Amino acid sequence: MRTYVAKRLFVAGVTLLGMSLLLFVLMRLAPGNITDIIFESAGYVDEADRHRLEAELGIDKPLVVQYGRWLGDLLRGELGKSYRYDLPAWQVIKPRLPVTLELAVLAMGFSVVLGVPFGVISAVRRGRPLDYALRVVSLAGLSMPAFWLAMIIILTLVRSFGWIPSMTYVSPLDDLRANLLQFLLPALAVGYRSSALIMRITRSTMLEVLREDYIRTAWAKGQREALVVWRHALKNASLPVVTLIGIEFAFLIGGLVVTETVFNLPGVARYLVDAIQFRDYPIVQNLAMLIAVVVVVANLAVDLLYTWLDPRIKYGSA
Amino acid sequence: MSSTRPLRPLLVTSLLLALVFPVAAQTPRSGGILTTSPLSATPSLSPHEESTIATVQQASPCFNNLVYFDPVKKVESVDTVVPELAEKWSWQDNYRNLVFFLRKDVKWHDGKPFTSQDVKYTFDMVRGAPDAKARLKVNPRKLWYEALEAIEAPDPYTVVFRLKHPQPSLLLMLASGYSPVYPAHVPLAELKNKCIGTGPFKLKDNKPGELVEYVRNPDYFVKGRPYLDGLKFVVIRDRSTQIAALQSGQLDVAGSGWNKTNAENARNGAPKLIIGEADSNVNDNVLVNFKKAPFNDVRVRRALNLALDRKAYLIGPRQGAATFGGALLPRPAGVWGLSAPEVAKLPGMGDPKKQKAEASRLLAEAGFTAANPLKMVVSTRALAIYVDTASWMVDQLQQIGVEATLEQIETGVWHPKMTRLEYQVALNLTGVGVDDPDAQLFENYHCGSQRNFSGYCSEEIDKLMAQQSQMLDKAKRLAAVNEIDRKLQADGARPILGWGKQYEVRWPHVKGWAVHENSIYNVSRRQDVWLDK
Repeated sequence: MRTYVAKRLFVAGVTLLGMSLLLFVLMRLAPGNITDIIFESAGYVDEADRHRLEAELGIDKPLVVQYGRWLGDLLRGELGKSYRYDLPAWQVIKPRLPVTLELAVLAMGFSVVLGVPFGVISAVRRGRPLDYALRVVSLAGLSMPAFWLAMIIILTLVRSFGWIPSMTYVSPLDDLRANLLQFLLPALAVGYRSSALIMRITRSTMLEVLREDYIRTAWAKGQREALVVWRHALKNASLPVVTLIGIEFAFLIGGLVVTETVFNLPGVARYLVDAIQFRDYPIVQNLAMLIAVVVVVANLAVDLLYTWLDPRIKYGSA
Repeated sequence: MSSTRPLRPLLVTSLLLALVFPVAAQTPRSGGILTTSPLSATPSLSPHEESTIATVQQASPCFNNLVYFDPVKKVESVDTVVPELAEKWSWQDNYRNLVFFLRKDVKWHDGKPFTSQDVKYTFDMVRGAPDAKARLKVNPRKLWYEALEAIEAPDPYTVVFRLKHPQPSLLLMLASGYSPVYPAHVPLAELKNKCIGTGPFKLKDNKPGELVEYVRNPDYFVKGRPYLDGLKFVVIRDRSTQIAALQSGQLDVAGSGWNKTNAENARNGAPKLIIGEADSNVNDNVLVNFKKAPFNDVRVRRALNLALDRKAYLIGPRQGAATFGGALLPRPAGVWGLSAPEVAKLPGMGDPKKQKAEASRLLAEAGFTAANPLKMVVSTRALAIYVDTASWMVDQLQQIGVEATLEQIETGVWHPKMTRLEYQVALNLTGVGVDDPDAQLFENYHCGSQRNFSGYCSEEIDKLMAQQSQMLDKAKRLAAVNEIDRKLQADGARPILGWGKQYEVRWPHVKGWAVHENSIYNVSRRQDVWLDK
């Protein structure tokens, strides 16, 4: 197991290195650079001032030097400075992390709490009205883009109640109730889509598992339905579901742009898009790397979870 | 006669009540926090380094100018300039010296006293004086101060602006929201995110890209101001969310950058909302690249100008919310624009069929026919307000046989492309800091100006611009400015489609929220705003 984890960590390191190179190159391929943007906000470009600014920001150096510097800084835990705001990058990123994390965790919570039981019920009640109803619900979830649902929620709330969640971020440490009120609806908007996905996967894997001999044996032994379904079948059907949850969570960290925009939540995803528009290289590169780390760690965690869910799986012995 | 006598006491009482009660109802109240949503996030809180209304909106409550435009007067002009940090001013030596006598009771937000050294520091920096104590990395309005020869601070409360030649417009440019006084004792870099001003509000919180929050400055030199305890600028990127936030009461005022439809949509959902419509000094203009053939041919430029039917523009992309004019905002909202009868004669204002026929004739004369059509790319910034008008433009040009296609340019590379003249024809929006010929003409039409995005250059126009700048007689200057405007329109230097209107939507409890007809940039101090709730 240790060997396996060590190998995976090595592969993760190589993946992240490749990712960093890709990110760096892609950002430089986009037309314009930060000095263009800085002058853009001033409404003109002065070439002499522009060159001076490029030198100050270090983007006049060869790309290899710039890349090397960034990697070196990253390894030392220095994230550099936001070109756009002239502030340390960490100072700009730090307050946004808990926002996205809270939204992603709540959305994931919603999707698991809704998706798994609905998937199980749908499989167990296959072909019955409840199955059809739940499948319609899941199909609707897959069909409705999160941004559309988010906007509909906002418009319905303001029309019906003259109320919408707070437009300024409320920290749970300051006011937990207000924070939950602010986050529950966007989490629902995002979580609904993921729950539909989880439900469909749960349903199909449950249908397979329910046909297995050991389930038939359990029924034949007269075990209670709850025990057969929830303990024997679901545990064995959960591997693909857990994989999906891992992927969805990693996706959510970077994929909440529209929801954060519609609900005006000052999260990482929305900020990343802003930073890309402004060619704020230190912010984009470091944030994208952070998301890459989350994806790699989530995948590793899911793989390690397999051994607990299915003791037959052994890593590093083959 | 006698029958009216018993009514007299009643009439007198009614009159007194009518006189007293409205006044009482309108007596400003102190307290409360006003929340609004600016046009967008501000790149910094340093107005001297930016050229976006977002910065002016969000930084002005923190600062003061030497002089400012009276918020109550709708049309800004030299007659509406009022003192701020300067108690009074005086033009001397036939408009060669502008002397400011400063207030002695002003403190910076960090408690340090305000003196003439702060004024000298600020404007030496902005004009790029060789001995300036600080240098702006980006200096968009250096051109405004080209006539300045020196700034002297003979004592802590007197400042003299010495000019190379008379320039009455200097006072107006100093009154702009883009001309606050900076503290000499605070490093310039710090002011980007940490505002230390003398203004009515002190910075409480600045979350770049999200929120700028102010609290009342208890030491403000204008006694009894500001009325508000605080002011909050919440950046809401999505327009529909902005509307919902206003309707739900989370915003007290909104509308910056809104069009008429947005404003009406907001009110449809909350009928008590008040819509304020005003002219603005932001125009839709067509950039025709003078450095690229065939656009250096006046016949082609005239043809394009004639083909763009201004009335269709008003009904289409502007949805009825614009006024027509030349290079300067037309009267009566503007001070220096062409008169209505002259505007009516401008290219594009006449009968569309006749003008399009004339445009086709001019193109044929320049060698472009159905067999050899003029092919062009109309570039514009990839923002809805630009794209809507540019799409309409493409359609208009196609009607005279031009094979026009639309190119949307990402906002980040828009100005670099315009500055480098990397386009053929473009649809642009230009906001002018002050409704003043010097601010508008030199910036956009002078040979070699960095913001002369069309590459237009005429020695004659440059000479006329310099002449009008020094004229002290207002009537003569107006005539000279109008003459320049006529020539610019005849040259197709930068055809103006129209001047857009601005919309502010607010709840009735918001009082004293001023809007100016000829500027969106010089009215954001907000010290007179109060909440009637």
